Amino acid sequence: MAEPTKSMQYRVLLVDDDRDMISLLSSWLKDAGFEVDPVMSGSEAIARIDVFRPHLVITDLVMQGMDGMTLLSKIHRQNPLMPVIMLSGKAQIADAVKAMHLGIAEFLTKPLTKDELVARVRYTLRLAAGESDSGANFGKEIIYRSEKITQLLEQAKLLAATDVTILITGATGTGKEALAKAIHEGSARKDQPFVAINCAAIPEQLLESELFGHEKGAFTGAQTKHEGLFQAANKGTILLDEVGDMPLSLQVKLLRVLQDFAVRPVGSVRGIPVNVRVISATNTDLEQGVKSSRFREDLYYRLNVVPLHLPPLGERREDIQPLLNHFLKRVGQRDNKKRKRFAPEAVEYLASAPWPGNIRQLMNVVELCCALTNTDIIPLAMAQKALRDQPAHVQTLKDAKEDFERSYLVSVLRVTNGHVSHAARLAGRNRTEFYKLLKQHHIEPEEFRTSRQATEED
Amino acid sequence: MATRIVRVDPELKDLIPGFLNNRRQDALTIRAALAQEDMETVRILGHSMKGCGGGYGFNALSELGGILERGAQNRDSEAITNAVDELQAYLEQVEIIYD
Repeated sequence: MAEPTKSMQYRVLLVDDDRDMISLLSSWLKDAGFEVDPVMSGSEAIARIDVFRPHLVITDLVMQGMDGMTLLSKIHRQNPLMPVIMLSGKAQIADAVKAMHLGIAEFLTKPLTKDELVARVRYTLRLAAGESDSGANFGKEIIYRSEKITQLLEQAKLLAATDVTILITGATGTGKEALAKAIHEGSARKDQPFVAINCAAIPEQLLESELFGHEKGAFTGAQTKHEGLFQAANKGTILLDEVGDMPLSLQVKLLRVLQDFAVRPVGSVRGIPVNVRVISATNTDLEQGVKSSRFREDLYYRLNVVPLHLPPLGERREDIQPLLNHFLKRVGQRDNKKRKRFAPEAVEYLASAPWPGNIRQLMNVVELCCALTNTDIIPLAMAQKALRDQPAHVQTLKDAKEDFERSYLVSVLRVTNGHVSHAARLAGRNRTEFYKLLKQHHIEPEEFRTSRQATEED
Repeated sequence: MATRIVRVDPELKDLIPGFLNNRRQDALTIRAALAQEDMETVRILGHSMKGCGGGYGFNALSELGGILERGAQNRDSEAITNAVDELQAYLEQVEIIYD
């Protein structure tokens, strides 16, 4: 897919049983350069998909016969990655929340303007382009649809063009290494080595030699000279994963490397210059580590020149469905088998699961489900079993309630485009109480607003 | 009721006569439905008018659609009758400028 702004080549299948609405939307979209196929029912839409091969489907939610939600699930059964924009009135907001929670459709509330529609269509196509054919795009290995990751990658892309030292934070399994690799591959160093080392996985006594190398005979067993990972990564990028677990004795040596741009192998008296971009990653709170003297403050500031935070999967649920599809495809290709699919109830279940192990856990669940299911469709019961069999820590009730409350507030604000009065009304709270809740969760309603709505609210 | 002069995007010019004809038909259908206490038909037509009136440039029709929809939900025949009267008067008097 090319840039969505060159919209002439994009085909939009438009589904609405209201002839005046469909004429209006067709006219707007054609004027914006899209090729439009308007149909007046869900069943016509299903029939047209294989023929018209749209890049995007726009459907009304409430229609005679097949409604928008049924159409959506039928479309995704055949074309799991097809972007869909659902049009709904404010009265149907509960359904909107449900579908958004599943992360399977963009929502647009009526009445709407031409600018809103065209902007959302371009935005959705842009996200879909990034997901399904991102050969030329930054972060092509990162699967996402959420706004959070979109923004994070935009920032990372800018950073990739520089040599600035980056600290990536995020819980286990959130994709820290994938992000570091994307930065490397988006940089001028992309044809040079990318070397990743997990500082927590290597015994302390070996880590120094692994990182900086050693001379022959430097210690018992050092029968040959070893150049170390910093030298192996010369002119490229090194990822120091789980840097928070690096022993203090090595932290000072790492600090010296970062200051002098030279490594000194174990047993050597001279420094060897290296030209390496350093990205470090951690799932621990390094600031806390500094306070409790487990991590050197000077090293912390050296590493944390620019912080990037990867949110847990529970805060980017829109990405669950594309991730499931991605891993299903990968497993199918790897095992040279027909690609399996999750039953819609299984997708719904997985989309609302807690995922304490994040993307890595999701990947394991897909692997397990594919291995244990003989049929093409993975049923709900199998998804439940696979998730139960995954080791996962149990949240406290307080944490679980807080997580739910935060994701609920985000959903309601997203549906109302950041309009606090509307959101409060939907949530059955008064404005003051609602603001208080937002403050507790550090949620800014402005972030959910379009410029037009911001003006109306103000 | 707001002004009867409406400015419409020229790109919609071909669609406007059909759109306004459909609203005239709606007015007749609503009156017939009201006579049979068929509030669901009134609600659907009101909802649809509310959804697309403003998009065509006729904000007044969106407002009337909203009144009809609420009227049907509340089974308020008087409100519906007034709104249909207003709708028909509006459709007779509205002047369109394409710019």
